[in-house]
Parts: sequence; C-alpha cells; structure tokens
Amino acid sequence: MNVLITSAASPLAHHLARGLYAAHDVRLTDIRDARGPWPFVRCDLGHDEATDRLVAGVDVLIHLALPPPGFVDESETAANELVDYHTRRTYNLLRAASAAGVSRCIYASSLSIFANCEEDWAINERWRPRPSTEPHILSHHLGEFTCREFAREGRIAITCLRLGNLGNPGEQDAQPPDPTWLALADAVHAFQCALAAPAEPWAIYHIQSAFPEARFGAGKARDGIGFAPRSGGAGGAG
Amino acid sequence: MNVLILGGAARLAPYVVRALEGGHTLRVTDIVPVDTPHEYQPVDIGSPEDVHRAAAGMDAIVNCSVLREDRQIAFDVSTRGCYNMMRAAIAHGIPRVINTGPHFTIEGKTYTIFDYDINPDVPPHPSTYLYALSKGLGQEICKVFTENHDVHVLTYLFYEFRDHDDPTPGGDHPFAISWRDAAQAIRLGLEVDLATLPSRCEVFNIHADLPHQRFSSEKNRRLLGFTPQDRLEAMWKRR
Repeated sequence: MNVLITSAASPLAHHLARGLYAAHDVRLTDIRDARGPWPFVRCDLGHDEATDRLVAGVDVLIHLALPPPGFVDESETAANELVDYHTRRTYNLLRAASAAGVSRCIYASSLSIFANCEEDWAINERWRPRPSTEPHILSHHLGEFTCREFAREGRIAITCLRLGNLGNPGEQDAQPPDPTWLALADAVHAFQCALAAPAEPWAIYHIQSAFPEARFGAGKARDGIGFAPRSGGAGGAG
Repeated sequence: MNVLILGGAARLAPYVVRALEGGHTLRVTDIVPVDTPHEYQPVDIGSPEDVHRAAAGMDAIVNCSVLREDRQIAFDVSTRGCYNMMRAAIAHGIPRVINTGPHFTIEGKTYTIFDYDINPDVPPHPSTYLYALSKGLGQEICKVFTENHDVHVLTYLFYEFRDHDDPTPGGDHPFAISWRDAAQAIRLGLEVDLATLPSRCEVFNIHADLPHQRFSSEKNRRLLGFTPQDRLEAMWKRR
C-alpha cells in the first residue's frame, strides 16, 4: 500500500516508517523540513494544490498530528498555533485526502484527553473525553472532533489511536512510573495492527504499554486490531 | 454592565447594540471600522493580544463575529477566535459569554434531514461544511472552557433573519427570527441570573414561534424568559 505519514520530524514517524517500510511504500511529510532515509515532501497542509498533490495516489494516511520541534515554542502565540494545527490543517488534509479517494486515515490522538478524570476510574473507549484547556490536550480533542465529522459523513474511514505518553523502554528506570507510558515499539506495533485490520467507518482504540500500574486498558485494541504490547513499562523493558 | 461586542460589523451587531444601549456600557470591536456612538476598538479576533486587550474591564462578551467562506479566515475567526475569546474571559475573570452561530453548528444535516422537534441539547453534528465545522469547533472550545473554569457560555443558534415587518411571502425556513427579537434574546442572556442555569454551557435555538415544529425553542422561555414578538407570518402563511 502507499502510506503517507505526517509529522516526519517526530521520533514516532521515524520509527513508524522503519516499521512499515518493508511491507509498504512509505512517504513522509511535515510542515517543516525533516531529515531521514525515506521519501519526504514538505507541505504546509494548507488549502491549496500542494496538499492535493501530497495525497494523490495514497491508500492510507497516517496523521500523527505532532507539530515539529520548535514549531510551537518559536511563536508568541503558541497555543493558537497548536489549535490551528489540529483543526485547520487537519481539516485541509482530510478534505484533500477524501477528495482524492484516500479510503482510510489512522489518526494519532492522545489519552491525555481524559486529563480531568479520576485516576481510579476504569476508563475505556466508551467514556466521554474530559479534556482540560491546556493547549496540547485541548488540541488533540479538537483534532478528534474534526476527524469524527469526516467519518460521520462517510468521506473517509478513520481509526483513532489514543496514545499514551511516548517513551523508550527502560528510560523511566530512575523516575516514578508514568501510568500512561507507551513504548515507541508498542506504538509502532499499534499502527501496524491498525493498518492490517479491516477499516471501520470510525473506530477508537486506547493504546499504551502493558505494566501493572498502567492506567488505561488496551482490551478493545487487543480484540479489535490484535494489539499485543510487549514492553514491560516503567521500570523495565520487556 | 460593561459589554464587549466582538464582530461589531456583523449584520446582527447593530440590532444588538440598539437593544443594549442605555442599559449597558458597550465596547464595540471588529477588524474593520464600525460606525458607532459607543467606544470602538479595532480587534482581529484571531489575535490573542487584540482580544485580551479588548476584554479588559468587561463584565460580559457577546461574540457576533462570523466569516463563512475563506478556509484560513473561517478557522481564524470561528475556531481560534473562540479560543482567544475564552482565554481572555478567563484571564480577566469575565463570568458571562454569549456566543453565536448557525444552527448547524450543532444541529447538522444528520439531524435536519431526519428529525423534528430538534432541541439544542443534542450532541453536535456540524458536518464537514467549512462554516459549520469551524463554528462547531469554536462551540466545542467554549464548552471545554466551561467544564474547566468558572465561566458561563450561552450559545445562541440562529439561521434565517428577517425584518419584523417584511411582507415578502415565501422564503420559508423553520429556523427564522426577526432581527429585533434576536437582539432582545441577547439582552435577556446578559440579564439572566447565571445561578438559575442548569450548567455553565447552555445552548439555545433562537427562532420565532413558528408552526413547523422542526426545532424546539421551549428552552428559551423556560430559562431566559424569552418570548419572541414577531411570528413572521408572511413567510409561512398561505395568502
């Protein structure tokens, strides 16, 4: 399949491209220049022909929705930029993709949209998100809101992966465990699973690594797309 | 009450100003000049600095801003504009915001092609139509702010506006209201005791008492004490 991955400058995009490269034709894009061994096209995700060209011939779009490093910090209106990235740019991308006949998008959201829930609640995908107004969190919620309308209209099938906090195995050995920790390897595995599973018009899965203190269960992802996290989580790699 | 009006050049704004002047002190703003006897400030609602500065010293904000067609500006005004408005409200401790938008901000096609008696408390289905979605995102931003901060947002949904004495037959729409009634609804929203509202985020279908029963405006009377005086009969009565 022809797979387009956004947010090329992020470590997740890099690892994901490596994980998909053998089985798919992978191309990366970002709103800033990014280095890497894979085909790359810079695109502002504006309302123009550049975005149309970007998605031409794509079978599956993986929208990681991670602004490039420095993109937000460089701006005095950082929160505005984040909101704009997750709403307008996502809208432009999905509009172009659906018009070009891209059948599927895998959208990377965040489990942080449950920021306001009690820590002892057994939250799963049936719960309504309770985002805070912290820009990174609110923006993910708005990105999901945008995606959902495209899915509702049947313009493009969207799988929404709500990711935990990304890290590498073992890196938290000296820190208190992050209960929403997600190893990069498990994140890549989740995208591979989603890509291999039949597309539903709209599906949400919670994705985090498996360890005793894990806050979110991955039962639906296990049953729905075959997600089987392998990392041991905070305190040790599995 | 000191009231900030955003989008002072919008078509609804002059009627709002007329309904509020005398009872409130108004600061009228827009990105373009507005001919008004009240204080005027140039404000780009997409600019956080502009909105923050304009909100200083205000007790309430009425957002009439709208931009429908241009993709960049629609998001700047309707989505980020709401974000800037809510951040300014929190920063200045402004307890009351009245936000406006078309009914399909929430009650989109997936409701209107199927249903009747559509009330304003349904889950939002704005669709991917640029105007509806950019406004719908703005409304969602307002809602999240009310769930996290001590601020009330009254969202007024509109669609078709008419002059109260417009004799033109036809043009029938089940979500129509006269300009002057719309403005009175906003006045009542500024005066309602916030403690009497069921939540900090309430949505209202602002339309005349129309016989279609496509949409429900029962909530307006119950919570705002709003009874529109114009029935716009030329629009829907046979001659």
